[in-house]
Amino acid sequence: MKSRLEHQPLLQEVKEIVSQCDRCGTCLTVCPLYGIKDIESSSARGKNNIARGILAGVVEADHEALKAINFCLLCRTCIDSCPNKVKTDDAMIAVRQFFADKNGSPGIKYQALGSLMKNRKLVKLSAGALQLMRGMRLNHLVPHGMAPREFTRKQYLAAFAGPAILGSIPGRSPLKRSLTGKVAYFKGCGMQMLFPDAVQESIRILSTASSVQLVNNGCCGLPQLAHGLRNDFLEMAKETIALFEQTDIIVSDCASCSGTLKHVAAYFAGDPAWRERAAVFSAKVMGISEYLFEVGYQPRNQSQALITFHEPCHLGRGQGIKNQPRELLKATGNFVEMAGANSCCGGAGSFHIDYPDVSKQILAKKQQNIEASHANLVVSECPTCLVQLNKAAANSGGKFKVMHISQVL
Amino acid sequence: MITEAVKKLIRDCVGPENVLESSIDRFGYSYDSSFIPMAKEHIPELVVLPSTTEEVAKVMAIAHQYAIPVTPRGTASGRTGGCIPVAGGLSLALTRMTKVLELDERNMMVTAEAGVRTIDIYHTCAQKGLFFPPDPASWKYSTIGGNIGENAGGMRAVKYGVTSNYVMGLEVVLADGTVLHTGGKAIKNVTGYNLTQLFTGSEGTLGIITKVLLRLIPMPKARNTLQLMFGSLDNACNTIHQMLMSGLVPAAAELMDKISLQAVARHRKLDISPDIEACVVLEIDGDTQADLLKQAERISAIAHSLQVIEVRIAQSAQEVDEIWAIRRGLSSAIGAMAPNRFGEDISVPRDAFPKAVRLIRDIGKKYHLTIAVYGHAGDGNIHPSILCDLSKEGEEEVVHRAVDEIFDAALSVGGTLSGEHGIGLTKRPYIAKALGHPGISTLKAVKQALDPKGILNPGKIWE
Repeated sequence: MKSRLEHQPLLQEVKEIVSQCDRCGTCLTVCPLYGIKDIESSSARGKNNIARGILAGVVEADHEALKAINFCLLCRTCIDSCPNKVKTDDAMIAVRQFFADKNGSPGIKYQALGSLMKNRKLVKLSAGALQLMRGMRLNHLVPHGMAPREFTRKQYLAAFAGPAILGSIPGRSPLKRSLTGKVAYFKGCGMQMLFPDAVQESIRILSTASSVQLVNNGCCGLPQLAHGLRNDFLEMAKETIALFEQTDIIVSDCASCSGTLKHVAAYFAGDPAWRERAAVFSAKVMGISEYLFEVGYQPRNQSQALITFHEPCHLGRGQGIKNQPRELLKATGNFVEMAGANSCCGGAGSFHIDYPDVSKQILAKKQQNIEASHANLVVSECPTCLVQLNKAAANSGGKFKVMHISQVL
Repeated sequence: MITEAVKKLIRDCVGPENVLESSIDRFGYSYDSSFIPMAKEHIPELVVLPSTTEEVAKVMAIAHQYAIPVTPRGTASGRTGGCIPVAGGLSLALTRMTKVLELDERNMMVTAEAGVRTIDIYHTCAQKGLFFPPDPASWKYSTIGGNIGENAGGMRAVKYGVTSNYVMGLEVVLADGTVLHTGGKAIKNVTGYNLTQLFTGSEGTLGIITKVLLRLIPMPKARNTLQLMFGSLDNACNTIHQMLMSGLVPAAAELMDKISLQAVARHRKLDISPDIEACVVLEIDGDTQADLLKQAERISAIAHSLQVIEVRIAQSAQEVDEIWAIRRGLSSAIGAMAPNRFGEDISVPRDAFPKAVRLIRDIGKKYHLTIAVYGHAGDGNIHPSILCDLSKEGEEEVVHRAVDEIFDAALSVGGTLSGEHGIGLTKRPYIAKALGHPGISTLKAVKQALDPKGILNPGKIWE
């Protein structure tokens, strides 16, 4: 049975992806959501086949279907183990878009979040952002997720750095080689709103390697793209592309931003007016650990803390940046790899807000792994992960602390 | 139609959290890993996820009383539609029965619930130096209950046999909810009919397997992998025959034809010479590395006497993985070559392997279809994959004719319809030809005796 929907362009895009699913079931063994809620519709196979069912006219494209499609971390764990590398995340994003178009809106919640992130002024009021969100009754978006403000790099140095280093002024790192060209820092919304101290450290570190351009950029567009606001995403991407045209390298300290910006090119591949510019733009983007590793950055101090790394989905699986942050951390002294370092923490953009119970259970597994590693400090490169990890740290009763990678390098 | 009152009875048995009722959740239990297209008619009325034998027994008693069809299911990795609930009713998914109950090291046996993944059985036993050999390609995600229901094979069959060779006993919930125990730990056991083997491979049509007792063997101490490339299919097959006849029994002997190889090459971005007509992957095992070296040398000598083009003996664990990745990724690589793929599973006497492959090639030529052929050359199990595009006018009809002829080819050389995937839905039309009328009527008599109301996996094996 074929349905008319099959000819809808967005669903055509979906069809190309999901028709590659052999329905073997490999993803059931790795999907973090299936691990918590073990019914078929939670799994990657389940959702890809709901998409296929919609195309075949077997599944009604109704609210229930959308609910199932929304229940995805976009963590790409399934893709890693899939024999056919079925891009579940891209398929889910496209199906969500299909629903948003069909319903005329992605729904009030995602619309509000999308608008907030799209508004540069709102995001820029970083210190006041949380108050502002409280005022807008959006404060539930960041429930006790803030990094404790007292836990800054200064505190880190006092607690964990070797005595010889304590109190010294950060010097210029000896670089193995420099990536020539102008470096710009891409200031992500989540980092700016939730982890302003880490943002300052990122800029400081980048300044030791090169002179850094600070650009008044907007949101990377992932929150919009992921939840049915593709036009907003494209519009913002065009602005961003234009904004960074004069720079040679664009560094972001947020894995979701760097990942999304690298993928901008793919979204303009069919647009002759923007294809070239988007490709040039995406090629310039680097994650902060990717960049620092590339230029041979040496950490400013040795640490006595036992550090472990939580690999964000959008960093490791999303961009293939795996060894770079680890090598940088090893250079600070004491690094330990924890079990399941690359498994999703359950944050996943706004997933942890939409599905707090499931997110909590996924995080509990992460917490166990962190504790079992005996690390005092868990480091990551994504604000949503940091929010989650801070919850885990609180739940563990202070067995470990959480920092952005820029704060310890 | 299951009435609301009956649904409530079922919910009360297993708890509402173990029953799925929304249409989107039930849809997930309407398909498996076969090429059968999805359909609204395949969506079960209710999905039940029991956690204990008692729950299964209660659910079956209700199903029996109200004559509700029950389709048992593991992780739906089957290739023949065995767990597709074509008659509606209940999908009984055993994926929450996941306990390994006992590892009896002295008797070398393991007892587990039906929903344990096969690879977890393997790992649990391996930790104690014990070996559960059956390794169907799906073993990382398939359940042991499903493997026994289908009598799954795998690559190690040439040396170690298939799943049924390891099943010592079963706990089975019968159609009316009675709990039956078959077999046991006694190795010699001729008390009564061999019900254990009757239920093994019965595809859920005779009872619901809830617990399994499996025999284990000591884990081989050393293993290695070889890859042989040949310019002709006959030389590849002959190499395997000569090995076996000279007492060299590999733990696995897999063969891939040129179309399969080129599919993998494209999929994995490898460069494989077009001169290669057949690739053989061998696993060898033994007590010591010296043992393996000796075996590898003898195999290499046989292969060279049969004009092998390249012999690659894995030098590291990484190389072993590289070689097996080619074989394990094959099914998917071939699947990715065309919009539709009909994967078959014929099984022939080992010495008929090259002849069967040639017959299949002729069928491909006759119908202008690309047919990739690979399989377990060591045991004669062949997986021809017909690549096609069913959206093309008339293609479906052509494919069906080709499939018919492939089955005829298998039977003509003394083989059979299915080596390890089962009959399910996809091979029903051919079973009478394979078994003959006395065969069919005997099977039906067994079915009638055990499932008089016909509620267990209706529509499977025969129509």
